[in-house]
This record gives sequence, C-alpha cells and structure tokens, in this order.
Amino acid sequence: MLIDANQALSHKVHKPKPIDELVLQVQQGSQRAFEQLYKKYEKRVYGLCLRLLASPEYAEDVTQEVFVQLWHKISQFQGQSQFSTWLHSVTSNIAISYLRKHKNWLQKVVSIEGCGMDEQASSMCEGLNGLDKLIVRLPERARLVFVLHAVEGYRHEEIANMLGMAVGSSKSQYHRARQLLQEWYDNE
Amino acid sequence: MNKPSFEQFLKESLEQTKEVSPKRDLWPGIERALVSHNEHAKKVSYWPKLTGVAACMVAGLLAWQVVIKQPQQNTMVDISAFFEQQKQSLLVQYEAQPALTSDWQAQLKELESAEQAVKSALQNDPENAALLKMLAQVYQQQLDLINKVHEPRWQQI
Repeated sequence: MLIDANQALSHKVHKPKPIDELVLQVQQGSQRAFEQLYKKYEKRVYGLCLRLLASPEYAEDVTQEVFVQLWHKISQFQGQSQFSTWLHSVTSNIAISYLRKHKNWLQKVVSIEGCGMDEQASSMCEGLNGLDKLIVRLPERARLVFVLHAVEGYRHEEIANMLGMAVGSSKSQYHRARQLLQEWYDNE
Repeated sequence: MNKPSFEQFLKESLEQTKEVSPKRDLWPGIERALVSHNEHAKKVSYWPKLTGVAACMVAGLLAWQVVIKQPQQNTMVDISAFFEQQKQSLLVQYEAQPALTSDWQAQLKELESAEQAVKSALQNDPENAALLKMLAQVYQQQLDLINKVHEPRWQQI
C-alpha cells in the first residue's frame, strides 16, 4: 500500500521529459517542447560555438541560428544517432559555415588564417575552464581541428571533409594545436 | 603544489562538462525568428491558395459564359430574336389590313420551312458565316414578303 502511495506521489512530481519524447513533440510542431529542448541544450551548443568561433558575440549569434535552423530541420532527425550527436553535428556545420561567411576580404584574397583571442581576452571570458581558455587562443584552423577531434570526437577523415582540407592537413593542424596548447600551459 | 602534466591536464579538462552559459538570454531572439518565419510562411502559403481560388472562379465564370450563357447569345439566336421581333411587329401592324394576294401565307410558310432548315444546320455549326448569312436572307425575304403584300402603294395600283 505504501509502495502504491509512493508511486502515485511520484507521478505527481514534475519529471523532466525524456529527450526522445521532447524531440517527437517538437517534430509535431510544439513550440513549448522546443523551448524545453533549447533550455536543455543551450549551454552545450553555446560552449561548442564559443570554442569553435573564439568570440562570445559570434557564439551567441550562431547559437541562435542553430536553434532557428533546428526548428526547421528537426524533421530530418530520424533517431539513427543520439539527438545530442546530431545536434552537435548541425552546430559544427553552422559554425564552420558562419566562419567562412565572416572572413574579411583580406582573409579571402590572401587566405590568411583567422587568429584566436588574445591571452587577456581569453582570461576575461566567463564560463570557460582552463583548457577552453587556451583553445580560444589557437589560430582558426588548428582550433577547429582540435575542437572537432579532441573535444567532439570526430575522426580526421570526417574533419577533412567538413573543413575541405586533406586528411594529412587535419592531422598536422591537430599536432600544431597540441604543441601550442602545451607551450602555453607550460608557460602559465 | 605540483602542476599536473599537460597530458593529465588535457585528459581531466576534456572530461569536464562542456557546457558554457551565454551572457545574455538568447531565447527571445530565437522565438522572434520563429514567429516571424511562421508569419512569413503563412503569408506565403496564403497567396497560392488565394490565387488558386481566384483561378477557379475565373475558370468557372468562363465555363458559365461558354457553356451556359454563350448558346443563348450566339449569333443565330440574336438574328432570330431580331427578325422575329420585326416580323411580329409587321404582322400586328398589318393585321387589320387586307393582303394583296391570298397565297402570301403559303409563301411565308415555305420561307419559314427554309428558316428551320438553316437553323437545323446551324445547330451543328453555330458560327458558320454562310449559314448565318443565309438565315438572315431568309428572314429578310419573310419581312419583304409581308411588307409587299400589305403595302398601300401596291394596293393603290
């Protein structure tokens, strides 16, 4: 009897909805469910954007863009992978595309690589752990490869495809990133 | 306190939570974008429907004109209506007036038979110019006949 009463009580307690159900509701057009989905993933998406873009302003813009596109593209999610994996993939692609669009004319003409944050700016950046503060200082290509490979777990073949570079370049950028990170870490 | 090695630092850092909070609330901007997109989508989807309805109405109107209204307003009907009116007016006008010949009504009957034959031919080919001209001539002959047999100058001779 006591067990039944506890069970009945537990049903009344508000429980967060399992993600599959939330995604399904969003796919059926529920904006309320979408807001819950946003609250659940907002920090992860923003964190990924900030590491990839090394700019809080860009990261905010892209986070919003990710969720707007997510609302329209969520029907494409068929549940073949984890939702979070799929969302991170969508986020990475939007962030990379955003970086390409926001290259200035000089970077486009002479293929100059975008630089990361300077040391002072990264130390002022709120919410980042020690490694993140170093990641955002990396030059653009090294940063993108490091975040996608070490943080997000993509293979170099996948990264090469996403960034339009050779697999060897992806590997060399990764090693370059590690060397820089170690150098900065050792000098801290 | 010993500083951990870079490898240790890297391993521990990558295991930590990857969540970072943005400084500002991003949801209102997302919500606005969704609402404005939905309104745009509504407007976009409204116009094809409206255009479709308008196209159906125009098509219906044309069909009504062609199928229902047009046969009543075709040339043969117009000609017939015009001459019938003329003919009836003359017959009423000359009703009290004696005719010069007694067989004029037989002649009129022949012309009316010719009129019916031409009308039958026009049922199959309503806008045939030669048949329409023939019909007009048959009607004109009927009017001429009625006029001639009742005209005073003929009676005075």
